[in-house]
Amino acid sequence: MKTTINVRVNGEDQRVEVDTRMIVADMLRERLRLTGVHIGCATGNCGACTVMLDGRTVKSCCLLAADVDGAEITTIEALSTGPDDLHPIQQAFVENQGLQCGFCTPGMILSAKALLESNPDPSEDEIRHGIAGNLCRCTGYHFIVKSIQDAARRMHGSPRADHPA
Amino acid sequence: MISNEIEFHAPATLAEALELLRVDGEDVTVLSGGMSLLPMMNLGIIRPTKVLSLNRVAALDHVTERGDEILIGAMVRHHRVAADPLIQRHAPLLAAAARVIGDTQVRNRGTIGGSVAHADPSADYLPALAAAGGSVTLSGARGERTLTPDEFFVDLMFTTREPDEIVTAVTVPKLPDGWRSAYQRLARVEGSFAIVNAAAVVAGDRSAATVALGGVGPRPVVIDATEQLRGGVDEESLARVGEAAYEASQDATGDVMSDAEYRREMASVFARRALREAVGPVETRS
Repeated sequence: MKTTINVRVNGEDQRVEVDTRMIVADMLRERLRLTGVHIGCATGNCGACTVMLDGRTVKSCCLLAADVDGAEITTIEALSTGPDDLHPIQQAFVENQGLQCGFCTPGMILSAKALLESNPDPSEDEIRHGIAGNLCRCTGYHFIVKSIQDAARRMHGSPRADHPA
Repeated sequence: MISNEIEFHAPATLAEALELLRVDGEDVTVLSGGMSLLPMMNLGIIRPTKVLSLNRVAALDHVTERGDEILIGAMVRHHRVAADPLIQRHAPLLAAAARVIGDTQVRNRGTIGGSVAHADPSADYLPALAAAGGSVTLSGARGERTLTPDEFFVDLMFTTREPDEIVTAVTVPKLPDGWRSAYQRLARVEGSFAIVNAAAVVAGDRSAATVALGGVGPRPVVIDATEQLRGGVDEESLARVGEAAYEASQDATGDVMSDAEYRREMASVFARRALREAVGPVETRS
């Protein structure tokens, strides 16, 4: 069964025809070519598919596309236009080796962003709770935590006006 | 992509949703946050042909104070249960349980009504609801009914909800002034389902105490711990509560995470821990 939904994705209004059995992660990847949205487990465990839905992080593998009609979605693609224009969190991940294979990174960064927006100066414990829904199978958590601590320092008190996302 | 075709409905009102269930209830799967349903659909464990989403029914997304009770609409998501000032003040046990459900993303989407209707025996809300003396309200074509946890939960993921009914609210009596509550869970890692969980409610003067346990049977197990605490709260009386928890957990079953005996032992430990946290510092006998 087909249905048409209207969604605002990374600031752009989109009208997308979707199958009613399509999950949001597939819609973003296959219809809108936002392949920064990764699908690891499709069971809500790994968090690689994390996106912002109406301002809150969700696992887009566990949402039906037909069920997000009218919603606003932000993916990792909204954070930067390219390697020379990285978001402070992305820059911190690069400089602290916060990624190895990179598969979990888009979800990690969006979870970090949500955390730092509600808690600009988190403790290590709060960071670990904040990314509890994101699994890194390279097990590089130590450097991910370090990256988020560095990102907090970069963003603290001097949010970059050119990165409203 | 999910392999079978789905007829999808997302009405904006409860009346429309109930009408759909009245006509077609046996064939319709109700979707709220989808934190359990979607993984099962993605894995092909269940293959619903008709899905009724409640995500547009704004009337189910409310927290309301009504006399001595707090009503929590079925579509209130866990992050709000954890942070809502009315719930924090009057039903802190529910807020404590909501805070540790899954992870941030799950709490941002999952709903209290969905969790309760799904009736997973390890769910965080179940012992909290049972210990707090809460109830579950259902609406259907034949009207509304409100059930105690004992009446609502029947067996593993099985409730007395009829196919034409929707869980519309969870109601919790306000915790009286001076009363205290606590929630404790045992899990291998943060975000995984609890192996055993325990919720405790204690009167300010310790004249009444209840502990409810999850994960030790198909439905919540409730222990009235008033008698055990009659002579005061100390390690001895807490040990008696632990024994009662062990005895009451005789329907525990084993799984890959833990065998039945371990669950019963942990029920004893976590009943004591929840109660100890609820009463605060324990006097020691000299």
